[in-house]
Amino acid sequence: MQKILIANRGEIAVRVIRACRDMALSPVAVFSECDRAAMHVRLADRAFAIGPSAPRESYLNIDRIIDAARKSGADAVHPGYGFLAENAEFARAVARAGLVFIGPSPQAIDAMGSKTAAREAASRAGVAVVPGTPRPLDASASGAEIAAAANAIGYPILVKAVAGGGGKGMRTVVDPADLASAVVSARSEAQSAFGDAAVYLERRLTRPRHIEVQLLADGHGTVVPFVERECSVQRRHQKVLEETPSVAISPAVRAKLTSAAAAVAKAVGYTNAGTIEFLLDEGGEFFFLEMNTRLQVEHPITEMVTGVDLVRWQIRVARGERIDLDPAAMIAPNGHAIECRIYAEDPDNNFLPSPGRIEFLRAPAGPGIRDDSAAAAGLDVPIFYDPLISKLVAWAEDRPQAIARMRRALGEYRIGGVRTTVPFFVWLLGEQAFVDGRTHTAYLDEVLRDRNGRPFLEPSADVEEVAAMAAALQAMLGSTAERKPAAAPDASRWRTDARLEGLRQV
Amino acid sequence: MTYEIEIAGRIRRVSVRREGGGFAVAVDGRSFHVDAARTDPHSLSLIVDDGPVPGTSLDVAVAAGASNGRLTVQVGALPIPVTMNGRRGWRSGHAAATAAGPQRIATPMPGKIVRMLVKVGDVVAPRQPVVVVEAMKMENELRAARGGTVAEVHGREGASVDAGALLVVIQ
Repeated sequence: MQKILIANRGEIAVRVIRACRDMALSPVAVFSECDRAAMHVRLADRAFAIGPSAPRESYLNIDRIIDAARKSGADAVHPGYGFLAENAEFARAVARAGLVFIGPSPQAIDAMGSKTAAREAASRAGVAVVPGTPRPLDASASGAEIAAAANAIGYPILVKAVAGGGGKGMRTVVDPADLASAVVSARSEAQSAFGDAAVYLERRLTRPRHIEVQLLADGHGTVVPFVERECSVQRRHQKVLEETPSVAISPAVRAKLTSAAAAVAKAVGYTNAGTIEFLLDEGGEFFFLEMNTRLQVEHPITEMVTGVDLVRWQIRVARGERIDLDPAAMIAPNGHAIECRIYAEDPDNNFLPSPGRIEFLRAPAGPGIRDDSAAAAGLDVPIFYDPLISKLVAWAEDRPQAIARMRRALGEYRIGGVRTTVPFFVWLLGEQAFVDGRTHTAYLDEVLRDRNGRPFLEPSADVEEVAAMAAALQAMLGSTAERKPAAAPDASRWRTDARLEGLRQV
Repeated sequence: MTYEIEIAGRIRRVSVRREGGGFAVAVDGRSFHVDAARTDPHSLSLIVDDGPVPGTSLDVAVAAGASNGRLTVQVGALPIPVTMNGRRGWRSGHAAATAAGPQRIATPMPGKIVRMLVKVGDVVAPRQPVVVVEAMKMENELRAARGGTVAEVHGREGASVDAGALLVVIQ
């Protein structure tokens, strides 16, 4: 393997390019019209246009990506996450073109892509699943049959799309009288979002935590699970902050949880990087939720506490290498890591996307801080894609110090021209419930509902005074006004010194 | 030079004149001495002497507002929306429309109208959602900033809209 085409954009494309560089492999970028000047294009060795900005016509267009791979002479394809990363058809097309797909087999993607099939695989592996219907509801099932199935599971019930993700095609039913209409609306949403109307029923756990286990698996039967990540801080079923390890998992539970994850992966013959998601209920029981057959957005926090480069291992496994990591070390975290997903969204306006040109940008740095980003001043946050600007990661010896470092890093971030979720995170990291680790998957939505749109950070009178001062000075000086000149280098002095030096040598 | 600067609905009068290599700045009559160093076209490093409290170092940045032509001043992690009304104020044409007059609710991104939640004649409360637009994989509620009566509704549910498309006008 010499040359890897990255079928993605943004910060994850840059992340994979960096792994390629570390391994002396040549990275190839693909880009849509609006991404011509994007960072992943500039950092790659070769770059190929694959069509208009709409995802369907570029980053989701299998033929154009395979064509670019052929033209570039790449011998492998990394899908990143999102776009085609969990598309079995894409994995097959890559293989048909004689290229290596850096990810699991198409069969594994298919097996875990259906939520009901994945639940069945977990049950086969002896791992508890959230109580629910073992198969999708029959399209012709009567209202009475559906009601009987729901009664057998117990309320509150979730109606979930079999092909679902991101909360689409999902309905909560508390009152049995609402069940029939929830099934109808979940089916229609699932049909339009995934082209598959199938839904099933699952019990809604009370205040569960979202706990997940990263794993790496090679083609020689080795499966290595990693210390868990907790991703309970979610807004409308989208993760916004992740951390590892979880405050709710003891070493004893960690041992059980990670072996359960490995058992599920082995049951489906999984290879490469993947993540098993669980729900942890208030009683400390965990249940299989689903498997993500790709690298995850939040993979850097695992890297920070284990020292393992997961993308590098994805490439090594795809080359046929054996994993020789020490399994015991992978579930013994060194310190604590937190990731904040910094989005171009206006948190004070209901998290509305805030696309546009980044006028200035200064990223935080320093001890324990990692900023995985593809943003730069002068670049646009396009309207076509997920508006993630940065995955800001803080590592420290323990959780309180990691929180302190994250707060420091958020305070250093300067991004102008677009609104970002930085002020929201400053607020969140000051919330007592978060500081105490008392979070669950509905925590953030509940707090946001109670806040009813109140701004996250309200400037004090002093800060408003400073803002007024700054605006007036900027207006008076103009943006091109003189800068205080640096002390001019004294050329004659240098010459004198050089001459003296010369004399000394004589 | 004197500027009228609106922050959070309140007008502040700010005067600036050069003084000893820096600036004498008065905000609503409170005086400061400010040493200002430009660090890039948007950013200033300020060292503020406030009478008995000398040497406060502040790293500030000023950018055009993301949506409606106002400015955003960033002080620390805090973005503060600011409207300039001064004699040499920027974008003074836009500034007048921010606090009074009809609210024009437009979509900041191209997408699809999922639900139109109001009709002409409806009375809306501050922050009430008026239309839901699906874009960037998410359903986004557009809300009224202030209360009022819906005067115009443009676009049907299911219709695709371009960035900047006017959807609702509230008087």
